[in-house]
Amino acid sequence: MNDKHKRSLGAFLALAVLAFLAEPSLAAEKAIAIKGGTVLTMTGKTIPNGVVLIKGEKIQAVGSDVQIPAEAEIIDATGKYVMPGIVDAMTYFGVRPFDLNDQTNPVTPQNRVIQAYYPFGQFMRGKGGIEPDKEILSGGVTTVYIAPGDRQVIGGQGAVVKTCGRDFDSLVLREPAAIDMAIGDPPKAAFGEAQKSPVTRMTIAALIRKSLIDAQEYDRGQKAYDAKPEAERKKAPRPPRDLGMEALAKLLNREIPARVESDLVDDLRTAIRIAAEFKFDLVIDSGLTAYFLKDILAQKKIPVVLGPTSHPFVSGGEVSSTPELLRVMDERNAAILSKAGVKIAIASYGFGFGGFGDAVQGKWLLLEAALATGFDLPEEEALKAITINPAQILGVDARVGSLEPGKDADVIVLDGYPLNVKTWVERVFVSGEPVYVKK
Amino acid sequence: MRKSAGSLGAALPLLLLLLISPAAPASETSLALKGATVYPATGPKVENATILVAGGKIAAFGTDVKIPSDAAIVDLTGKVVIPGLIDIHSHLGFFDSDINEFPQPIGPENRALDALYLDSPDWADAVTGGVVTLITGPGSGERIGGQSITIKTYGADLQKRIIKEAGEVKMALNARNLSHVQAIRSSLLKAREYMETWDRYEAGDKKEPPPKRDLGLEALVRVLKGEERVRCHIHFANDMLAFLKLKDEFGFGLTFEHSTEAYKVADEIAKRGVGCVCLPLVMRIPLGEDLMRGNAILEKAGVKIALHTDHPVTQEKWLRLCAVMSMRYGLSEEAALKSITINPAELAMIDSRVGSIETGKDADLVVLNGPWQELQSRVDQVFVDGVLAYDRARDEKAI
Repeated sequence: MNDKHKRSLGAFLALAVLAFLAEPSLAAEKAIAIKGGTVLTMTGKTIPNGVVLIKGEKIQAVGSDVQIPAEAEIIDATGKYVMPGIVDAMTYFGVRPFDLNDQTNPVTPQNRVIQAYYPFGQFMRGKGGIEPDKEILSGGVTTVYIAPGDRQVIGGQGAVVKTCGRDFDSLVLREPAAIDMAIGDPPKAAFGEAQKSPVTRMTIAALIRKSLIDAQEYDRGQKAYDAKPEAERKKAPRPPRDLGMEALAKLLNREIPARVESDLVDDLRTAIRIAAEFKFDLVIDSGLTAYFLKDILAQKKIPVVLGPTSHPFVSGGEVSSTPELLRVMDERNAAILSKAGVKIAIASYGFGFGGFGDAVQGKWLLLEAALATGFDLPEEEALKAITINPAQILGVDARVGSLEPGKDADVIVLDGYPLNVKTWVERVFVSGEPVYVKK
Repeated sequence: MRKSAGSLGAALPLLLLLLISPAAPASETSLALKGATVYPATGPKVENATILVAGGKIAAFGTDVKIPSDAAIVDLTGKVVIPGLIDIHSHLGFFDSDINEFPQPIGPENRALDALYLDSPDWADAVTGGVVTLITGPGSGERIGGQSITIKTYGADLQKRIIKEAGEVKMALNARNLSHVQAIRSSLLKAREYMETWDRYEAGDKKEPPPKRDLGLEALVRVLKGEERVRCHIHFANDMLAFLKLKDEFGFGLTFEHSTEAYKVADEIAKRGVGCVCLPLVMRIPLGEDLMRGNAILEKAGVKIALHTDHPVTQEKWLRLCAVMSMRYGLSEEAALKSITINPAELAMIDSRVGSIETGKDADLVVLNGPWQELQSRVDQVFVDGVLAYDRARDEKAI
């Protein structure tokens, strides 16, 4: 074989490899046009008789005069509504209850919930690979935040995942997405049962401060080492790594926010105070009494991820066990916060394992948003509270949360106006794949 | 103290009569609610109807009601009126720690009224959702938990609020425990012996002292005589079949409570005329899609169903939404409204007073700002015994 031949073989091989690589992506570039429906984009105007054009995994165009390619598969949505997939900003979905909390230790920032996430259907059943949960898809939910439980003070690192995907890695939108903390009753109850500190609000707050100071010290040590000239670094070993401190350093460096679950107004104040002291980004979870602090939350741009309208007591406590909250809670919380300019999401705080028949609460998120409109939340805000707002709060709005060109093709088609109790989700697309069709 | 011979037999009906005391007239002048679309629950809806209220009762209802000249007129044009809602299964008014006497599995003598926390803010909160009558009672931690109370959620006078002070006997089959049915059966056999002992005594010459009274067995005797029903907390279909056998043996009146898998044995339940108190609890507990369609299956099989909140599991005020959610999953509109009004009234044997908008019944009325079938509609006013118990414009706190 002469050089020329060698070269051509090389070129052929390279070409073959290219062709091989290109083939699946070409196949994935399939076009789907959902046409004729009322398109609720969430970031722009509502488009009557609109088209959502999907190309491969992305949305290529949204509008009323979109050129539909001849090869596109047409989905007729005449008389129907088309909107982005629902984003559930707080769930324990896909995590077994016994994997949620490490109650031997109130502070475990090193724990990553993604390592407890199980998207493979039922244990010891199924054909293999990712098995999408039909229940959650029936509610049009395409993106969820999964969190460690709320019984520890610093539970660990949460993740944003999609409800469908080719493989595990393609499910993950952001990880770690936040540090999950809880102050107030849940950790008090958990460690009170175990007769182990912390059992008071004072010690809970002190523990958070101590952990953050440890993390500041740790981060300084690591950064000082990195800043040394290479010759010096060769002489002295790096200060030992600590995975928990590394995670908290991300919070202190504002790479990720803290999500602090708290309900009583004084617990909210504590969360706001500590966030200001340590200059980290804060998201309030649950926030039953947040409306008391609407102005300060708006001014500091602190978003609130509310629980479901019909049962906002998200920490598992029944209503009567917190009578002081019952007296001050108000279903208009969402409306008041939204009106004051606070970014809100309505989330399910639902579990995916356990309950009756492995059902998922998140499937009813559209209905919870509808219920909030009965308590003065404008319809447009209610829809944003389960789509673009949670996407922004979770830091994944470049990918999901609205129907815009370039975003992931996470699209749902409904048989009627989304905020109506008789409306059903008919079709769900995740990353351009049709993953659910209502029977 | 020796009780006279006939005292027990005579005392029982007398006691019941005393307990079912009629509500006193709330006011002498009458009230005319005009112009609303009224769903009476026992008949088709009536547009532009008038409901005349006098002495705490519904004096007249229809489109051609003559309004007395001194009547106060309330214009409800554009509004919707439904009967005051009835939650047949609640724990409202209890401290959590008072619901279950866990160490004592058999306690039919326990009475709800003795634990009732009447200053709880939950009562007023229930009214804001249009819930006017509750059957609130012991939990499901024992085999026989005790007797519930039937009480209105609003009223200045406790005695007038009470429709039935002590009644239905709560039982519970949990987790398919083999010993549970037998424990209940043993108690009923004991009650039958107790009843026979008293019958023999009553029929005899009464020279001997009467048998010693047992308040728990007395409650079960009322069940055996068909004067009270058994309310059985139950989830599993096979438990239901086991309990139906018990009903066949003793012939008591029965409702299943929660009735999670009732739809799987709907025909067996329908055949025996057993009422079912059904899920969902709004959206409080995630339920699978098959289960959510269970109420429609029960309706088709001819089972009388009532819905419940199981307060505090879900808040009392959301009872209407249980019906709205059931309609989403196939329950007919007619059955859905009945399941929170006339059906629970009939199952609890209080339908002569409450459960529908009919002349002669208590003036318990709920005024909504939109269709009762919608999640978003709000309760604007609630009348209890003809008194305006809640007025959103007046009572909603300003924020």
